[in-house]
Amino acid sequence: MTGEHPALELRGLAKSFDGKVAVAGVDLDVPAGSFYGLLGPNGAGKTTTLSMAVGLLRPDAGGARVLGQDVWADPVTAKQMLGVLPDGVRLFDRLSGGELLAYHGLLRGMDPAVVDKRSAELLDVLALADAGRTMVVDYSAGMKKKIGLACALLHGPRLLVLDEPFEAVDPVSAALIRDILQRYVAGGGTVIFSSHVMEVVQRLCSHVAILAGGTIKRVGTLEQVRGDRSLEDVFVEVVGGRTATGEELAWLSR
Amino acid sequence: MAVPVTAPAEQARQVSARHFVRLKLRVMANNFRGQGWRVALFLVGSLIGLWFAVGAFFGLAAPGLIGDDKYALMIAAFAGGLTVLGWLLLPLVFFGVDETLDPARFALLPLSRRTLVTGLFAAALVSVPAIAVLLALSGLVVTAGVFGGWSAALVSAVGVVCGLLLCVAGARAVTSAFASMLRSRRVRDLAAVLLAVVAALLGPLQIAGLAAIQDTNWDRLGGLATVIGWTPLGAPWTAGIDVAQGRAWAAPVKLLITVATIVALLAWWSRSLESAMVGAATAGPARARPRLTGGVVAQLFPRAAGWLRRDRFGALVAREARYWWRDARRRANLITIAVVGLFVPVMVNFGGFTFDSEQGFSAAGNSSPVLVSLSMLFVGLLAAVTLANQFGFDGSAYAANVVAGVPGRLELRARITAFSLYVLPMLAVVAVVIAIVIGEPTWIGFMAGALVATYGAGLAVNSFVSVLGAYSLPETSNPFAMNSGAGVVKGMLTLLAMVATGALATPMVLAAALLGDAWLWLGLPLGVAYGVGAALLGAYLAGDVLDRRQPELLALVTPRR
Repeated sequence: MTGEHPALELRGLAKSFDGKVAVAGVDLDVPAGSFYGLLGPNGAGKTTTLSMAVGLLRPDAGGARVLGQDVWADPVTAKQMLGVLPDGVRLFDRLSGGELLAYHGLLRGMDPAVVDKRSAELLDVLALADAGRTMVVDYSAGMKKKIGLACALLHGPRLLVLDEPFEAVDPVSAALIRDILQRYVAGGGTVIFSSHVMEVVQRLCSHVAILAGGTIKRVGTLEQVRGDRSLEDVFVEVVGGRTATGEELAWLSR
Repeated sequence: MAVPVTAPAEQARQVSARHFVRLKLRVMANNFRGQGWRVALFLVGSLIGLWFAVGAFFGLAAPGLIGDDKYALMIAAFAGGLTVLGWLLLPLVFFGVDETLDPARFALLPLSRRTLVTGLFAAALVSVPAIAVLLALSGLVVTAGVFGGWSAALVSAVGVVCGLLLCVAGARAVTSAFASMLRSRRVRDLAAVLLAVVAALLGPLQIAGLAAIQDTNWDRLGGLATVIGWTPLGAPWTAGIDVAQGRAWAAPVKLLITVATIVALLAWWSRSLESAMVGAATAGPARARPRLTGGVVAQLFPRAAGWLRRDRFGALVAREARYWWRDARRRANLITIAVVGLFVPVMVNFGGFTFDSEQGFSAAGNSSPVLVSLSMLFVGLLAAVTLANQFGFDGSAYAANVVAGVPGRLELRARITAFSLYVLPMLAVVAVVIAIVIGEPTWIGFMAGALVATYGAGLAVNSFVSVLGAYSLPETSNPFAMNSGAGVVKGMLTLLAMVATGALATPMVLAAALLGDAWLWLGLPLGVAYGVGAALLGAYLAGDVLDRRQPELLALVTPRR
């Protein structure tokens, strides 16, 4: 089955809010076993696209399949194979880290003994064991990302969908998250994550898609997209950035 | 004078209250954009408010219109005093305050505290309830004008406006102070006790009031009205009447009392505002938890939920049960149920208390099974209506359940179970305490039956309301805060849910009226069966709806940023 179907398959996903188009028809194939980076400037529609892909936001048109299972027609089967770290979404933050893991594990129908064992390991590896009894609301931003990632990993999903996993994370935690994700991919899992940090994408990803203005502008393996230039040059060119000429904002220097 | 190097090129323009008012109107308008049903609910709510305001206007203008000034002072003092009390207490118990302009958002702006307080105060005045109250109490101006001519009318108008300022300032100061108390985990129990005491004071006051009315001793009431007129509760409202009745010297003194009170309230508000702006992010140090036994699963389950199986249902119940205690907003609701649930039945059923000089303070025995059932019905539906926006409490965290694909029926059943872990014991206490207090211990059975039946029917109704009519709550730590516009919407939905629940529960009252003694025995089993059946059926049917609109529900409860 894994051989036949891409890990994630998006077809013509579109969404507009109050008449304002956020995503205008996104097609994307994420091959199984790939480490996929979804790049885009702020407001490009990354979060909207990923939310529609995992069943958090109903698309106006189009569909999403996880390993061949339709997310919207057969959500139960599809969601079992998914691990999600949504961005800007609060966790149930009045639980402690351990309680939150237990909640997610049981919610996924796991055996309590397995939940205990895996949670202890995850808390240990992510250096959260000391904070296991502090409520998540009192965690720092980086710790929240880590506990969110732990919740997404707990049930051993086949596909991880991570929205901005490296946002507001200090370098030490970022390195830890990178290691874990690389091990997960090496073990046969698939990761797609959104970001606008070029170095991380360049270092980690096998495949890249650049999203801007609600549509995919470039897609392919890292080498195909990058060519012989740096990823940042390609990105700025595709998105259409501008550089300051020095005339404006003159009052900034006195 | 040397100009410092860092002086801005142009003078910063003065920020005035006008900016805050315009900001509030703009935020309100933006909240309505593209949400037709919100606009509709807002309009309907406003019209109902206007309707009541016009009715009250004529009620208060009645002495003037009839031309009889015997009761003018009394009406002004009591109606005005009740209005002020209502503004102070109702936000705490039921409605919350409109935090369209969250003070924490202004923390980084270079505004003096005085500017901020006057600005937020001015913005708070722009609201439907404030306008309705102004309209209603303007009836006093008519009365004063008829008896005292233009000068009295003018003084009365000034008094009414000052009175409105007093109401709004009081509401803000009290909720802000109470919120900062609830925010700190250490004093939350103290806050609960305080609220209980405040509510407890309502009981005796009402009893005394009812007894006084029954005595129809108008002279005594007149004396009371005069006294109230000299307190901040009545001063602004009675100033005009005083002028009309030839006590012109009293008017400036009363207005002075009012203004001094407003200034004091604003000063109090400004102090607690500071702590709201600075301390909003931190909720005090986390308590060290001594127990370290067992794995994470054992940690999740509170002791009261220890009997649950360690599966999806168990996890949902355990998490909800923890949240009802740990989330300040939810805890405030639980406290409200406990306090109101005890005191309203006491007040209703003690209406028959008399102050007969020979019997002293005793029950006149005019409490009937129907009256008791009605008061139980009220408590039951008040408890259940707490769940009307149960998903709004979660906010965007609800995404976890959507991603995990929790079936709707399981979700609703678990939420009902967790809430009932707290509420059912409370209801049992209410039934026992009220039965003993009114001296009818044999009534415990059917009282508990009526409570559970209403509560169960209410759970069914509110399961639907919570799935279809959810709205987002602002992500502040103020348990009384809510988005503007949502205020009226919330009121309408709550009212609808309560009416529907009441309709569903009327069989219990009818049975109490018709079945007589048999109901003493049948009440409990039938009531419990009715309640449990209704709740399960409601969760079953609403769960189906929830399955179809999980993403939509998530979008509704996610605060817009």
